[in-house]
Amino acid sequence: MAAEGHAEGRAAGGAEGRIAGRAAGAQGWGLHVQVRVPLDAIELDVDWRPQSDHVAIVGPSGSGKSTLLRTLAGLDPGAEGRVSCGDEVWLDSDSGVYTPPWERRVGWVPQDALLFPHLSLRENLAYAGAGPADVEGMAESLLLADLLDRRPRFLSGGERQRVALGRALLSAPRMLLLDEPFSALDRPLRSEIAAMVRKFSRDSGTPIVLVSHDEHDAELLADERWVLVAGSLSKDGTSA
Amino acid sequence: MPILLSTEWLIGVAAVQLMMLQPTVAKAVPGSGPAVEVAWTERRADQEAYQTPETLRVLAASSLQDVLPVVARAWDAQGGVPVRFSFDATSRLAPQVLRGAPADVFISADDVWMRWLEERGGVDGQSIRRVATNQLVFVVPSGAPDPPRDAGSIAAADLPRIALAGENVPAGRYARAALESVGAWSSVEPRIVRGGSVRGTLEWVARSEADGGIVYRSDALAEDRVRLAFAFEGEDPPAPAYSGAVTARTEFREAAEAFLDFMGGAEATAALSAAGFGPAGAGGAVAQAPAVSGGSSVLDGSTTLGGPMGLDPWSAVRLSLIVAFSAVLLGLIPAVAMGWLLARRDFFGKSFVSMIVMAPLVVPPVVTGFLLLSVLGRESALGGLLAAVGLPIPFTLLGATLAALVVGFPLYVMAIRAVFDTVDRRFEEVSWTLGVPKAPTFRRISLPLALPGIAAGAVLAFARALGEFGATVVLAGNMEGETRTIALAVYSLLESPSGRGATWILVIASVMLSLVALLGFEGLTRWQRRRMEDHHGR
Repeated sequence: MAAEGHAEGRAAGGAEGRIAGRAAGAQGWGLHVQVRVPLDAIELDVDWRPQSDHVAIVGPSGSGKSTLLRTLAGLDPGAEGRVSCGDEVWLDSDSGVYTPPWERRVGWVPQDALLFPHLSLRENLAYAGAGPADVEGMAESLLLADLLDRRPRFLSGGERQRVALGRALLSAPRMLLLDEPFSALDRPLRSEIAAMVRKFSRDSGTPIVLVSHDEHDAELLADERWVLVAGSLSKDGTSA
Repeated sequence: MPILLSTEWLIGVAAVQLMMLQPTVAKAVPGSGPAVEVAWTERRADQEAYQTPETLRVLAASSLQDVLPVVARAWDAQGGVPVRFSFDATSRLAPQVLRGAPADVFISADDVWMRWLEERGGVDGQSIRRVATNQLVFVVPSGAPDPPRDAGSIAAADLPRIALAGENVPAGRYARAALESVGAWSSVEPRIVRGGSVRGTLEWVARSEADGGIVYRSDALAEDRVRLAFAFEGEDPPAPAYSGAVTARTEFREAAEAFLDFMGGAEATAALSAAGFGPAGAGGAVAQAPAVSGGSSVLDGSTTLGGPMGLDPWSAVRLSLIVAFSAVLLGLIPAVAMGWLLARRDFFGKSFVSMIVMAPLVVPPVVTGFLLLSVLGRESALGGLLAAVGLPIPFTLLGATLAALVVGFPLYVMAIRAVFDTVDRRFEEVSWTLGVPKAPTFRRISLPLALPGIAAGAVLAFARALGEFGATVVLAGNMEGETRTIALAVYSLLESPSGRGATWILVIASVMLSLVALLGFEGLTRWQRRRMEDHHGR
């Protein structure tokens, strides 16, 4: 599997791997984000048109990574500008167009999982309407099958992140937005889950936008890397 | 951790509420209010002479509230010792005298309570004398079209609600005796609403909440909004009469005697009759102790003070539970909506709305009750509309429920607001991104997560509703079997020396219910903390 190859070459940086992967999605998949969002100290100001199906945004904390994801998800009402995905306009602050999150169907996986605490794992996974068989299958591939009837509070951090991932995957998302998705997983598990996510992405044609401060996570999943520093986004290589 | 802070705070609020119950009970007389103190002179005599009082303290029946200060002014003008009055219902004053309230003179609105005090050594029997008389009159709202002409026609008249003072208040007992003497009591009794005092009764008639009422002539004269329909004349029952006595504990016997003498003099008599009172000797009553215990029907009861008639403690417990549960149910949706709005939305006038919602927490419940009566009474547009569709508020179970709800609503909303404040909004956001719109997200995520707080708010509101007194007695009256909840029943019983057994049943029931409610609150708070802690603790 390709992901395992990436895991091998993590220390020196898998530059060859990334370049090889990018060719597949060279024409881009239609996401165009051109927004300004005021943050506490800085302003997030990006004009971004990712090319690959597997994009990573890396940068120090406080640089606006999570805000960029929230803007994509439609959760940040402070954004000015234009967001479009394919022929759908999600945000156009000049003409007052705004598509609410539930119509965008981005599979948002927040850093701290945010599993619904009053629901069992099974209910969390089925939240967006997946049938029992899909839920069981997803639990199987995420190594969660034994835990299905537990409540989130009895899970480890890594288990929670996997459930959050599964919950998003089962909502038939148009894209996946992963915010530090592997931060609570140990290294071997990271590779395994990353491989699973890549497989899902490939099989269903779902693009992935991953945000991380961890270079390694970016390498595991992404073919294209962007660096976000103090609100400004630049393609990897020009600033790293 | 924010959740800890907010729950401690809620418990603190609950404790404050419990502490507030005590003064609430003390405050709860509609109309005349608690013992009103009027200091007449600031003159400060030197305290060299042990027998010369600085002020003479007079506890007097509340129906004398307007006239006694006039008498005192005349007394003061001729060099008498300054007098300080405390006015309240005789039934509340007499036990206070016995328990050692600072008083030199006691003026009772009936002879039964005076005799009761004398038997227990609260007053000097030799000093008892008649100081004034009054007359019972039937009043109707000033706009009433066709008031009854005499006592005999009350039974047949179209008067759905007739206001009387409480059973223990002399005016209430006189009124009952008057109705019994014309054989009208049994037909009128179901229509009676009981006020806490004559002034409270009069206020209800003045506001047309009651269609008629029996009060003293002196009170009726002072109120423009009522019309005097007729007076109860004749010897049977005898006219209400005030008696005065020197208390047993006074250190200023001479000054006290002198004041009582002065009340029988020409100047005082003129002031009394100007205010609608009869002279001390009216109706043949004699200002001697034996005459006070003479054989009239009012006095036949002897020391039977006619404790709150037909007061059933279990009916009070049942009513309290009905009122508290209904208040919680009725308030559920508004409280959730308001709590969510205050926690999650910013809008123009938010602090104002919040202030209005929280106001009943700090406004005296009696005042809240008065405002509710003004908004929901029959004279108001809203109250008239409600009455027209068959939902009258004053003197009904619905009124008692509303009073309890309004007073408990701030606690309800505060608990719910606190829980919406602490539930991470991003749970809702995750739900939205999973394709679930706002309304179903609220139902599937926000509400279940807020449930412990909603339940805690309901329990607090329930506990507060159980303890509610002040607003209820003003808006809903104190009607046996209809609006007399535990707090009101205890209050009625406390005025009756014969009601101790029933009082204990109610006191125990009340304490148990409140403790169970608070235990429930504590449990719910822990539940919420455990559920939330886990998320925060990650």
